Amino acid sequence: MPDAVLTVLIAEDSATDRMLLARIVSKQGHAVLTAENGEQAVALFAEQRPQLVLLDALMPVMDGFEAARQIKALAGEALVPIIFLTSLSEEEALVRCLEAGGDDFLAKPYSPVILAAKIKAMDRLRRLQATVLEQRDQIARHHHHLLNEQRVAKAVFDKVAHAGCLSSPNIRYLQSPYALFNGDLLLAAFTPSGDMHVLLGDFTGHGLPAAVGAMPLAEVFYGMTAKGYGLAETLREMNAKLKRILPVDMFCCALLLNLSFSRRMVEVWNGGMPDGYVLDTDGGEPLPLVSRHLPLGVLAPERFDDSTQVLPLALGQRLFLLSDGVVDTSDDNDQLFGVERLRRVLVANRQPELLFEEVLGALEAFRGCCRDDVSLLEIGIVDPDALSPPPMTYSDSGQCAPLDWSSQFEFRADTLKRFNPLPYLLQLLQEIHGLRTQSGALHSVLNELYSNALEHGVLGLDSALKRDARGFAEYYRQRNERLQALNSGYIRLRLRVEPQGLGGRLIIEVEDSGKGFDVNKVLGRPLVEQGLYGRGLNLIRRLSRHVEWADEGRRVCVEFTWEALA
Amino acid sequence: MGVISELSQDGKKLTIKVKGRFDFGKHQEFREAYERNAQPASVVVDLKEATYLDSSALGMLLLLRDHVGGDDSEIRVVNTSSDVRKILAISNFDKLFDIS
Amino acid sequence: MSDIHIDRNVLRDLQEVMEEGYVCLLETFLDDSDKRLSQLHEAKSALELGHAAHSFKGSSSNMGALALAALCQQLEARVKQQPLYGIEDLINQIDREYEVVRHLYAEERHRVSIG
Repeated sequence: MPDAVLTVLIAEDSATDRMLLARIVSKQGHAVLTAENGEQAVALFAEQRPQLVLLDALMPVMDGFEAARQIKALAGEALVPIIFLTSLSEEEALVRCLEAGGDDFLAKPYSPVILAAKIKAMDRLRRLQATVLEQRDQIARHHHHLLNEQRVAKAVFDKVAHAGCLSSPNIRYLQSPYALFNGDLLLAAFTPSGDMHVLLGDFTGHGLPAAVGAMPLAEVFYGMTAKGYGLAETLREMNAKLKRILPVDMFCCALLLNLSFSRRMVEVWNGGMPDGYVLDTDGGEPLPLVSRHLPLGVLAPERFDDSTQVLPLALGQRLFLLSDGVVDTSDDNDQLFGVERLRRVLVANRQPELLFEEVLGALEAFRGCCRDDVSLLEIGIVDPDALSPPPMTYSDSGQCAPLDWSSQFEFRADTLKRFNPLPYLLQLLQEIHGLRTQSGALHSVLNELYSNALEHGVLGLDSALKRDARGFAEYYRQRNERLQALNSGYIRLRLRVEPQGLGGRLIIEVEDSGKGFDVNKVLGRPLVEQGLYGRGLNLIRRLSRHVEWADEGRRVCVEFTWEALA
Repeated sequence: MGVISELSQDGKKLTIKVKGRFDFGKHQEFREAYERNAQPASVVVDLKEATYLDSSALGMLLLLRDHVGGDDSEIRVVNTSSDVRKILAISNFDKLFDIS
Repeated sequence: MSDIHIDRNVLRDLQEVMEEGYVCLLETFLDDSDKRLSQLHEAKSALELGHAAHSFKGSSSNMGALALAALCQQLEARVKQQPLYGIEDLINQIDREYEVVRHLYAEERHRVSIG
């Protein structure tokens, strides 16, 4: 690199020295400005912005020390090297030069060689500082830009993510505002029948790559939940989508719940997330919701396992989910917080509303400082009436509604095994505008009728099994087993819609190939005894206008009616 | 060197040893360990000296698996410490890899 | 004889650096020095005296006036020790030394200007 041409300011009260120095500096190829005292020097500096200053220490009007201070102040962050010209020999005076902002000294008599070397060295420093400042500003600009992009991305994502029901009264959650960019994802939404789907997910990695997958995942989750798809179908779709769009080394650990408050049960799928827990009201042993699957986006669709675990729930129980930041927190000795420490915190908790604080407090005590990147979620099991699922929103114009039709389906063994027809049927029934105010009830009833026909009818499962928690698990084990082995049987479903005055009615008839049941005996049982397993029938009776069984319980007919639309 | 690879005499078995933290910092080295050799019939990932494993390490294992044949690959992950095994167990990676 | 007063090597270097400005530099020094001498004589405080001595020391050292620079340095050091009793002696020595070098620089100017 050729030596730079600089503008050098020389401030020196001795005319001889000034002349000599100006000559030396300009012979070295630099432009020279001269001043006779400090005041002139500061004024010239402000006006011409030279890159380097040679300052005599002792000058009339304003001395070199004061001039140095003012010049440094004017220069701001840029480095304008100041070389003091002096024959000062006492240490004290040299210290004053440095304190005033001097970068170097040049002793009299002047040596052109030494001066050239010093100017060169100072120029290197000056450039280094300029580069550092430029890079700093560039980083600051990039950072600002990045934050802005994140803010926009987060705003867009929040519109998608918070379309759900995280604000329900029975949900409490804690999440860093930038969790999205840590790969953490929390989604919750009501199904059309008033159940709640919840997802706590964790994408591999950080920053933009981690956030990228969140959007399609949320879209699938909300889209399919709103259409009435179950966990299995939703999981399959999410897995297939992530497998298709993510690079091989990226995936999403996820814990999904399908909570039914009316039937008091939860369906769980955990792929790669830390254990979630079912917490009892009385501080009993927390029941872990263990990861049994590979994370989403790892397996090809044909190898994906959508099997879920079904657990009974009681009023007042709580589900507690957490991100890996909790158990993976390590202390100074690389010891992990771990599952056991967490379990002790959960067991020791006496006031449910303080649980989050206690967990965070334990982490802080363990690690010595707090973490702001963990996600915690707690869902209380409440009476369904305490929740208010938002009314469905429809994207059609609300104009025409088909009012006089009927349709019949027969689903046979092979179909029953791997296909859930309910979302399609519900989609069809949503076209009846008069029924839209009852769509929650309609979804619930249709769900119940279908699963009764399948589980008790076609699969011949005994609902009495579900009398306790252990039997509950056994029931769902048998359900899976029998469904896999199914090779005969059917469910027939007939929908009839007809006008009635200014309103109309819908008749749903469901018939199965099973052995039927003693309707009067089951309905005659006291409600208490019906417990876990009688709830379905009661639900149907409560929600529909009219219900009646025929053919020894093999056929059921349910009626919904509506008045003229306002 | 945090990642050492060794091909058996007959060129059929590739052993990859990871030392220290198995995280994103090892990405390049780990990748090179299996990409520089011709495709072996089987791979052994030796984690005897690995102290820690994070989710990006799981991603790297998936890349390795993809590279040597995906579902048809034969990969053993050996000498795993209990902490490492816990992490692999939560993710159910034992469904994809032979872990011991 | 003159080498006790002026370093000839310095003058040679100065001429090389200043080229055609060398004569001007010599004149400026003589001019400048007259001002410094009057400052020395008219100083109203030890501080003023010290500053004048300091500046004079600087320029004379640059011009190769070794003995003069040394005397200025003595004066600069002396003014920091009160009382200033006997300091006139030192100033008189500077006067005398300057009288000598003034002639030498005038000769040098003459030598250079006639080529």
